[in-house]
Amino acid sequence: MRKLKLNIEGMHCASCASNIERSLKNVKGVNNANVSLMLKKGIIEIEDFVSEEDLKKAVAKVGYKVIKIE
Amino acid sequence: MELKHHHEKPVEDAEIVSWKNKLIWSWIFTIPISIIMLSERIFGYSLMSYSIIISIILGFPVIFIFGFDTIKSGIRGLFSFYFNMDSLIALGTIIAYITGILSFTGLVLDYSGIAAMIMAFFTTGKYVEAKARGKASQEIKKLLELGAKKARILKGDKEIEINIEEIKVGDLIIIKPGEKIPTDGMVFKGESSVDESMISGESMPVDKLKGDNVIGATINQDGILYVKATKIGKDTFLAHIIELVEEAQGSKIPIQKLADKITSIFVPSILIISILTFIGWLIFSNDVSKAIGVSISVLVIACPCALGLATPTALMVGSGIGARKGILIRKGEAIQTMKEIKIIAFDKTGTITKGKPEVTDIYSIIKKDKLLEIAGSLEKLSEHPIAKAIVEKANLKKYIKINKFKILRGRGIEGKISDKELIIGNRTLMEERGINFKELEDQITKFENEGKTTMIIAQNKNIIGVIAVADSLKEDSKEAIKILNYKKYKTVMITGDNERTARAIANQVGINEVIANVLPEYKVKKVEELQKKGMVAFVGDGINDSPALKQSNVGIAMGSGTDIAIESGDIVLAKSSLIGVVQSINLSKATFRKIKQNLFWAFAYNTIAIPLAVAGILHPVVAEIAMALSSITVITNANLLRRAKI
Repeated sequence: MRKLKLNIEGMHCASCASNIERSLKNVKGVNNANVSLMLKKGIIEIEDFVSEEDLKKAVAKVGYKVIKIE
Repeated sequence: MELKHHHEKPVEDAEIVSWKNKLIWSWIFTIPISIIMLSERIFGYSLMSYSIIISIILGFPVIFIFGFDTIKSGIRGLFSFYFNMDSLIALGTIIAYITGILSFTGLVLDYSGIAAMIMAFFTTGKYVEAKARGKASQEIKKLLELGAKKARILKGDKEIEINIEEIKVGDLIIIKPGEKIPTDGMVFKGESSVDESMISGESMPVDKLKGDNVIGATINQDGILYVKATKIGKDTFLAHIIELVEEAQGSKIPIQKLADKITSIFVPSILIISILTFIGWLIFSNDVSKAIGVSISVLVIACPCALGLATPTALMVGSGIGARKGILIRKGEAIQTMKEIKIIAFDKTGTITKGKPEVTDIYSIIKKDKLLEIAGSLEKLSEHPIAKAIVEKANLKKYIKINKFKILRGRGIEGKISDKELIIGNRTLMEERGINFKELEDQITKFENEGKTTMIIAQNKNIIGVIAVADSLKEDSKEAIKILNYKKYKTVMITGDNERTARAIANQVGINEVIANVLPEYKVKKVEELQKKGMVAFVGDGINDSPALKQSNVGIAMGSGTDIAIESGDIVLAKSSLIGVVQSINLSKATFRKIKQNLFWAFAYNTIAIPLAVAGILHPVVAEIAMALSSITVITNANLLRRAKI
């Protein structure tokens, strides 16, 4: 299991954060997702097989953009 | 690190700037509409057919150009079933705008002017909100920007300036007075005092000599320091602090769970309520226009933001204030648990005490200076912590030459100065050598009852003095325990030391209960036993006490110098002081109070405002203003946490 930090652009309301969380959690292999509107960051726990592309897509699907993955 | 800093700041500012632009342009187009709408109210409907055309023309850019992002995100939300705040605003404004066009059929009244006003107020609200959110995170941002950008290192015999990312472990960094120490390191040459307040909250500068550790981002005060880099990038103290704070931000507090659940079903619920409101009004009033107006009010008044922001903003401000004072909240949950805590258990060595023995008393039969000279010279040859304490106290410029030095493990030392036989050691050693110390028996017993370790010094089998060594209390331990006792916490000390020493320290510091002779692995058991009587906070160092910290309901880990044990402790104190425990309790309670106020306000707002809108009492524009104010209030209230006494 890995822990990643996503810097996310475009969030401006509480439901944005909860939507991103929901979308990320729907990705197979994502065990936990915490998105903070205040930090504009999401901290997620994923299985090793999850690709960064999948995560970016999940965030893009709900209308936001991952600008950096740490 | 640095790149990140350059990056992070503009992102926040860009959001504020973009809302500001939208807000200015929206109002430029909306103000004429408002004037027309107001004058109609006053002078009647004489200008009506023109006014609709004007508001349709002026309203278009407000909604579809300046509000494009909102409309786009809202519609995307509607179609993808990931509804958000924007979905409500988009629906509300578009429906209102369309009535303007449909009004020419004569079936409905025109709401297009209102559409523009809703959007203008929405962007205004968002602008104020973004600014308030920026303020809420100002401490954290300062922390992110704290690191140095450049470093001057010595390469060969040349000084060169490099970017902080290029620094390598082992590089020799030169730091002039007034400059920031670029990264964690160890003083190689030079001495100075360093201001560490930005990291530990400790306002007194700390003296740094050769061999001392320095922390990146602290400021060198008055001397030139040559520092060998020991940690860089992600491994530095500052990077750890930032990670701790960010982690806390991401952690969820139990009380927020309900609010989060509501937030996630909020928008679809409002959509349904709004449709039902429309149908209801249509049936009972038979007035399409009124039904449309009321359902627009419902759409725009509902605000999940106040609910969703209640906890994160307060947590943000709280953890920011904490970080500035050297209190790092690692798990948000601790804030909620803290108020249930009844018992506070402390580790002794290194937590209540300095963890480093010091000479506390000297009782001398010969001249005191002479005694110290002898003892200091002998002990200089030993590595024992007690020996070090004596050497430090003696602080000799020149040591007397010692012959035949011998360490008598667990008992003391012996040696010869010219022809004098000298022995320094405990009771056992004196008894072994048949040295009579009856003369000082009272003194020795007194020291022992105070929990001090006593070293007897004998010269040619006659005792010449006693030096008492103790691990002394940290400066503010007593004050901290006093406050905690006053606040009706049950204070307990759990230590591996013997009963007598432990009692003595407990009495000095004012702790009620002592659990002594506890082997490290049994500390967890003791915490568990205490937990039968109430919620327990355990205060200890993050390394040895890690299991006990985890077992307790709130683990408070004391930082020691440059190491922060990230894994243990719900709260980590960067400075090694018990006052930090008092501050963490105050901070947690104050933050939690804010969270409760915010949640109460957010729930109250929505439960009152939505029914009012459904009942048709609120004009759509008023509804929109109320909505904007509700989330601004929550953030502003969180910002007020800064006024709390910590």
